[in-house]
Amino acid sequence: MDTDVLVRDYLGRLEAAAAVLPVNRRAELAAEVREHIDAALAEAGRSDEVTVRNILERLGSPEEIVAVEAGQERTPRGAAIAPAGGVAGTGSRWGAVEVSAVVLLGLAWPALLLPFGLFLWLGLGVVGLVLVWGSGVWTGRRKLITTGIVVAVYVLLILATYPVSVTCTTGDPPQPCPPGGPSPIVTNIP
Amino acid sequence: MVAGETRDPLTELRRGVVEHCVLAVMRQKESYAYEIVRALSNAGGLVTSEGTIYPLLSRLRRDGLVETTWRESESGPPRRYYRLTSEGQRALDAFVRDWTRFSDAVDAVFAA
Repeated sequence: MDTDVLVRDYLGRLEAAAAVLPVNRRAELAAEVREHIDAALAEAGRSDEVTVRNILERLGSPEEIVAVEAGQERTPRGAAIAPAGGVAGTGSRWGAVEVSAVVLLGLAWPALLLPFGLFLWLGLGVVGLVLVWGSGVWTGRRKLITTGIVVAVYVLLILATYPVSVTCTTGDPPQPCPPGGPSPIVTNIP
Repeated sequence: MVAGETRDPLTELRRGVVEHCVLAVMRQKESYAYEIVRALSNAGGLVTSEGTIYPLLSRLRRDGLVETTWRESESGPPRRYYRLTSEGQRALDAFVRDWTRFSDAVDAVFAA
């Protein structure tokens, strides 16, 4: 049997099945599969019928390849270990880590009103950021942006309150700065 | 999906794992598609239909996890070489961590 016919037949089936795909991807996929067959034949060093049939069988059916190509348009990334079916897509949803990170970063602000709030505020922020980086859902870019914003706000606020907290220790007699956020400090400005 | 329909659990598992194995193969060195497919096939049991790696590679390109360069080959037409982007590297690192935790948990249950 002419092995070229086997390959042509396979590629013909691929082309027919790929009719559902976008035009540019259709051509690209056909080229990739053709290149695969050529490379496999070159590697085998022969092109008898058994070799060709084995190569095509290992490729899988053209319909199966196209089904994967068409199916993954709808499959969200990150659903790696989640079983398909009922819970597909869970990977992009927030879990305990993500919810905790947001709650902690949010809680940091009212914490400023409490005694020792400044430390609580910093502590919650640090723990929140650690959780952000521990998230398997958020991308690296999102983690970087979040960290940048949080750190920038913290640095700005600390810089803004720093001169105030210095002035309050130089009173006569020197007054220790009251613990907590900026509001008690502000009242000490002479 | 019909309730109670039997599915091969390994098929489900393979789906998500294989794409990270693809990333792991090109972490070692820049590779062209056939080399990647060969490396995964040789690992045994990872890939049942070699052709399904091609849709996967195209998605990894689209998602920016890999980037490609066309290079001349000694034999035949130019080949497209794949390598990891920094985002791909991060995705792979994260998966390796998750996978280790996951497989340790499964092993622990099996050993109990």
